[in-house]
Amino acid sequence: MSQLSVSRLSVRYGPVKALRDVSLEIPKGQITALVGPSGCGKSTLLHTLNRLTDLVDGCEVRGSVRLDDDLEITEATTDVLALRRHIGMVFQKPNPFPHSIRRNFEIPLREHGVSRANIPGIIERCLRDVGLWDEVSTRLDRSALQLSGGQQQRLCIARALALDPEVILFDEPCSALDPLASAVVEDHIAALRGRVTVVIVTHNLAQARRIADRLAVFWVRDGAGTIVETGPAANLFTDPTDPDAARYLSGERG
Amino acid sequence: MLNPLAAAPRRARRLDRAIAIAGGAASFSTLAVFGWIVWDLIRLGLPNLSWHFLTGEVETAGRSGGIGPVLVSTLLILLCCLAVAVPLGIGCAVWLSEFVRRGSRASRIVTGGVDLLASVPSIVFGLFGMTFFCQVLGLGFSILSGGLTLACMILPILVRTTLLALEGLPADLRPGAAALGLTRTTTLRQVLLPTALPGILVAITLGVGRALSETAALLFTSGYSTRWPDSLGESGRALSVHIYDLAMNIPNGSPNASASALVLLVLILLINLTATGLTERWTRHLSGTTS
Amino acid sequence: MSRSRTDRFVQWSLGGLAVLSGGLVLLIVVFLLLGAWPTIQSGLLSHLLTDETWRPGSDRDPQFGLLPMLAASFLVTALSIGIAAPFGVAGAVFDRFYLPPGFRRWNHRLLELLAGVPSVVFGFWGLTVLVPAINRLHPPGQSLLAASLVLSLMILPTVALTSQAALRAVPESETLAAAGLGLGRARTIFSIALPAAKSGIGGGILLAVARAIGETMAVVMVCGNIAEFPSSLFDPVRPVTSTIALEMGYASADHKALLYTAGLILVLAVAALVGWLAFRGSKNVPASG
Repeated sequence: MSQLSVSRLSVRYGPVKALRDVSLEIPKGQITALVGPSGCGKSTLLHTLNRLTDLVDGCEVRGSVRLDDDLEITEATTDVLALRRHIGMVFQKPNPFPHSIRRNFEIPLREHGVSRANIPGIIERCLRDVGLWDEVSTRLDRSALQLSGGQQQRLCIARALALDPEVILFDEPCSALDPLASAVVEDHIAALRGRVTVVIVTHNLAQARRIADRLAVFWVRDGAGTIVETGPAANLFTDPTDPDAARYLSGERG
Repeated sequence: MLNPLAAAPRRARRLDRAIAIAGGAASFSTLAVFGWIVWDLIRLGLPNLSWHFLTGEVETAGRSGGIGPVLVSTLLILLCCLAVAVPLGIGCAVWLSEFVRRGSRASRIVTGGVDLLASVPSIVFGLFGMTFFCQVLGLGFSILSGGLTLACMILPILVRTTLLALEGLPADLRPGAAALGLTRTTTLRQVLLPTALPGILVAITLGVGRALSETAALLFTSGYSTRWPDSLGESGRALSVHIYDLAMNIPNGSPNASASALVLLVLILLINLTATGLTERWTRHLSGTTS
Repeated sequence: MSRSRTDRFVQWSLGGLAVLSGGLVLLIVVFLLLGAWPTIQSGLLSHLLTDETWRPGSDRDPQFGLLPMLAASFLVTALSIGIAAPFGVAGAVFDRFYLPPGFRRWNHRLLELLAGVPSVVFGFWGLTVLVPAINRLHPPGQSLLAASLVLSLMILPTVALTSQAALRAVPESETLAAAGLGLGRARTIFSIALPAAKSGIGGGILLAVARAIGETMAVVMVCGNIAEFPSSLFDPVRPVTSTIALEMGYASADHKALLYTAGLILVLAVAALVGWLAFRGSKNVPASG
């Protein structure tokens, strides 16, 4: 069953075409990796899924993205604040708020109407989910900026989890981290399988091979990004049909 | 025989030394004159400075007695000024930074207006304040009129410095907050403004410094009264106006003018040091974010 | 959707504050125009330039000659820039190329403190220290020279700090390239650094000019306030700003309208300078690299 279905989606930034005619089914509870060279629209697709494209002036979205075969995400009347509660996001660079670790949870939770009494429990559960609880439980009131890069990124994942989203979007979550921290973060993303639908943009093919259930390969065709091949990750790595995708996945142009 | 390769460096070295001496002399004399001014003020002012001077009544038009009521009036003028300028300036800066695109027509018009306002000479603010606040709005020569006039004057510095603070925030805070489904209002109140707070405090400190050192804009707006002020509607003399009046209009007013000038100078130095300290904290605060 | 209604409310209120802030300067100009209107209407405008003296309060034969004051403003500004600019720029060159980095921060801080000294303090110091000194040299002391000196001290930090910033903005790669070509420090300064920083230094000087034209307190206390053309550096003068400050309190009718006109002239002069500076800046940005 599809959690998100993208069909015939095109996105442009002013005169620049970023995505053309993209269709993709993102199954529930699985990890879908979006791969391909830089500048072929992977991040744009990710930003369309939770309407962060709204923050970009002159960004024009056409086509359809449906959540649970029910809510049309691209519709102007969609309540984007509620939408973003259902579809969380983790960015390339860790971006905790420059407040205490606790405040990083309180701000979004209070905003979405969670009562104060429930917040400590949620903080503990989410920090345990990303393996951070034992490291920070005694210093929840210290600044989040004092954490290491990898810890900050796990905090951001925990913060996204706190809103109980059905989907979490990851935009190259490990590319700003050192290899060790990157491995830890990757393990925690993999552990989300089955509980949350994950869409991850990555430039690291080995990572995609390790964690992805499904793969979508992006390529620039006629001046705009599009998906040239999609399917179960295992099949795609062993037996791609598109020649560009085949060369890319075999590492010739990684 | 002359070796051109050897000759050139010697001339260059001589020129180099000349520049060093001229530049060093310029630098040194600038700072030396500053030192001279401070030394003169200390020499002339310190003997008259005492606790009684800071708290006492103004007597015989300022020749004797203290500056107690003047300090209180100054403080009240400053408070009126900040009460108006701070919300106006910060609101304007927040709007420019968070609600309109940079370079859009609305943003260009508003920043252009604010920059023009910054170029208006202070005596013209005095002229405007006297007509608009004292006469048209009927506030008369009062602490309120003076404060409002100063508010107009320090508005640009507040807008510009706050804008700088907001634009200096890490760019990924905003999409991060949006991705958590926060409204713009919440993002502002809970994330952006608290993070920019040290920078905003710098803006306010700079505004206070500017307001405190201003004289011309207050000459014909806040009045000359040296009594203890009872309300904001009364005339009240600012410290800078007191110095001007003692020096220019009161025979033998100079000793107390020196002491008042020393007090003003110390206040301004303290405010400047606060601003520098805050700026340094602010830079450290942000560099923690980017690492 | 009440949350987005809050957002809209905040957006509109902040927009209101912004419009108020941006429009304030218009309000000021409108008030100056209204105040100056009688001058324009009654044809006094031509008197500003043709009358020989300034006797606006006289009942029998009022004279409205503004030229001596405009000349005084011009002279005081030009002289103070003439003094401050070489000192400021030379100091900035010294700061960038000769001063050990450890001292640079202190130099910068002291200049910032100097920039913050209130103009009335400069004026007071000029009146009690500088004017008597000049008086011993050549009476009366309160003079074009005193005003120019005090004003030059006031604007020196502006020139120095902007020149420092302009020199610091010259990419290190360029000065290193010059060193790599075997150019000495002096040659590097004159051939590479100063030309590259020219626009920034010029901007700083223009900014100082704008400040000097508009400065009131430091000047009014030491210039002597006699509205005549000076014949030497030691003659008293009276710039436009001083005239407004001295006569605002009692002026009425035509006289008052004249002061508004003078204020308007000041605002236009300074705004033209600053506007030109902004225009120049926006044009020069891509070319300055």
